[in-house]
Amino acid sequence: MLSQPTSKLARTVVRAVAGLLPAALVATAVAQEDEVITIGITQNNVGIDSYQTTYEQAFIEAANNNPEVEAIVLDAQGDVEKQINQMRDLIQQDVDAIIIWPTQGKAVVPVVRQAERAGIPVIVTNSQIAEEGQQFIASFSGPDNITQGIYSAEIMCDRFTEMGIEDEAVIVQIAGMPGYTTAIERAQGFEERLPEVCPNVELIETQPGDWNREKSQTVMETFLTKYDDIDGVYSGDDNMGVGALNAAKAAGRADEIIFVGATNFAVGYEAMGRGEYWGSIYQSPVEDARNALRTAVAVVKGEDVPKSNYFDTPKITQENMDQYTKPVF
Amino acid sequence: MPSSDDSSGELTSGTRRAAAQPPRASGPPEAGPDPVHQQSQEALHEAEEAVVAGGIGARFRALLGLDSPDFSWTKVLAKQGILLAFVIAMVGFSLASDRFLSFDNFSSVLRQSSIIGIMALGVTIVVISGNLDLSVGSMLSFATILVVDLHDKIGPAPAMAVALVAALACGAINGTLVGVLRLNSLIVTLGMLSAIQGFTLIYSGGQNADITNQSDTWFAFFGRGEIAGVAVPILLFLGLAIILEWVLHGTTFGRRVFAIGSKASAAEYSGINRVKTVFFSYLISAFCVWCAAVVMGSRVMGSQNTVGKGYELLVLAAIIVGGASLLGGSGKISKTVIGVLLLGFIQNGLLLLGFSYWTQWLVTWVVIIVAVWLDVGARRGRLLSPYA
Repeated sequence: MLSQPTSKLARTVVRAVAGLLPAALVATAVAQEDEVITIGITQNNVGIDSYQTTYEQAFIEAANNNPEVEAIVLDAQGDVEKQINQMRDLIQQDVDAIIIWPTQGKAVVPVVRQAERAGIPVIVTNSQIAEEGQQFIASFSGPDNITQGIYSAEIMCDRFTEMGIEDEAVIVQIAGMPGYTTAIERAQGFEERLPEVCPNVELIETQPGDWNREKSQTVMETFLTKYDDIDGVYSGDDNMGVGALNAAKAAGRADEIIFVGATNFAVGYEAMGRGEYWGSIYQSPVEDARNALRTAVAVVKGEDVPKSNYFDTPKITQENMDQYTKPVF
Repeated sequence: MPSSDDSSGELTSGTRRAAAQPPRASGPPEAGPDPVHQQSQEALHEAEEAVVAGGIGARFRALLGLDSPDFSWTKVLAKQGILLAFVIAMVGFSLASDRFLSFDNFSSVLRQSSIIGIMALGVTIVVISGNLDLSVGSMLSFATILVVDLHDKIGPAPAMAVALVAALACGAINGTLVGVLRLNSLIVTLGMLSAIQGFTLIYSGGQNADITNQSDTWFAFFGRGEIAGVAVPILLFLGLAIILEWVLHGTTFGRRVFAIGSKASAAEYSGINRVKTVFFSYLISAFCVWCAAVVMGSRVMGSQNTVGKGYELLVLAAIIVGGASLLGGSGKISKTVIGVLLLGFIQNGLLLLGFSYWTQWLVTWVVIIVAVWLDVGARRGRLLSPYA
């Protein structure tokens, strides 16, 4: 379907983007021509948040440090159409592997299939593509939200055990935006793991905080009105967790509550430093980027790569936070 | 179409002194909103004075129009339906949850509602003038990010000043495009919604902003402070409501807003400067957004890029529930306040009862539909009609 003109257009678009990112676009390695692995990456939306910005920098750095790799770094700027064109262009260039950070899980499936048909392995990074596209990808590299939820449950339970209230503690949950896979998986991991490690801790209520700190503050204010006894708050990320912390501080009840988040943010890290927030899960964009590149290289070399190649998201609490730098987001 | 003030005038016309007023203009109501409006205003004030003299009973009878010759319960329901719904919701939640009816809960709901509320006050004026403002959500994100981000860099007062200038600039752009260029306000402010959000992202580079030293800044006063036991956001909300109620009903600007909203061309033929009025209505809206941003920044002590995303729809919902017509020409600040509180208390009550969020969405939808139905009912004089 109009493949020739479209790809010409796509190339023009890519060149236009290349003009904007002169230093970033091509990181040429010094290895011999025949050993070089060419990897193209089309990212979601660099610059919209510091996670994605740091990811790109880390990816380019990792590619520069690897003499085997030549990377073509593209950014779809959040535009599905642009991403599809970038994918087609990378297929035309016959790169050795394509890494895609999907702008949209469903819409990119056909072009991922096209790459697979052309014999180019596709690695999905950070966010999954839709279920029907799974058969066309070589591997997924990214954080495991279910594991993050599981770890959060363990942090919460360990803390209750230290305090000796693991048999009576009651907790509430402030979840992410309803309908988002990330929100659902983080809640699922937590809710499944908690009864296994702390069977007597009761999760009395879950309400969405929509990834919004103000909304979470409002939800927590209502929880505090409704329940005289709350020992712990689990939130889908630290941003919402700090909203809940604000509400508890205003009500003078922050000291009696353990706050645990599913992803560590700078605000959460700072609150941990002040001793107000207990723990979270450390998700590093640098590790995310490196893992994506490692996965792609391994796939090209024909190594045995798991279909879901998660990078490590360690637990971070007040006790071990000095081993980690403050998150960039 | 008759403004709700005209209707209130009609409603109280049964009282002794107001009865002397001539019946409402028999021609098409759009034709001359200004004189009619003024008359009904006077009638309303006289009626109010009359009922004050008569005590609570007379006041109540006047409110419901019990002495009116064409009294009907349908009319009462249609005119005061929102108040009735509010009372029913409050009684219902009080019976269902023992936590609902407490000073702490009430003040917490009022505090939570004040951000949406302050924004809704300004947008009410824009809506009465026959336009829409969908950009307030993005404007809130922008102003909040600015005030929070600059707080640590240049100090609280300059940060607030910069945010005010930025908000007013957004309002001025809206006002110019809708007022001077006469573009459709829905399209203009929908565009501004995206544009301001984009600008916010460019400014912040996607970073969240936070105030580092939360306990030692006087900036905390606006979102967390109290005066005589009442939270400052509540005082700001009610204070602004009183001021804007006066602006709408006590100044020529207010009458012009109603006139333009009822029939813009007629208003212009009678010498009203439409450009100026529309421009200032958007400035007022932007000013209210700035106030809301200060409260928000101070309450949360941080800001996300998208913190106001979707708030424009919550604001519109509250205004619609308050009975303002989206076609312009009618609306009341006091009823918008009730609309805001009704939605705020419903959210709080459903949360206290442990209902899930989708129940809140459903109930909000039902409340909006019923509010619009009552509004239409008030205009045609009956709730059910074989005609549209």
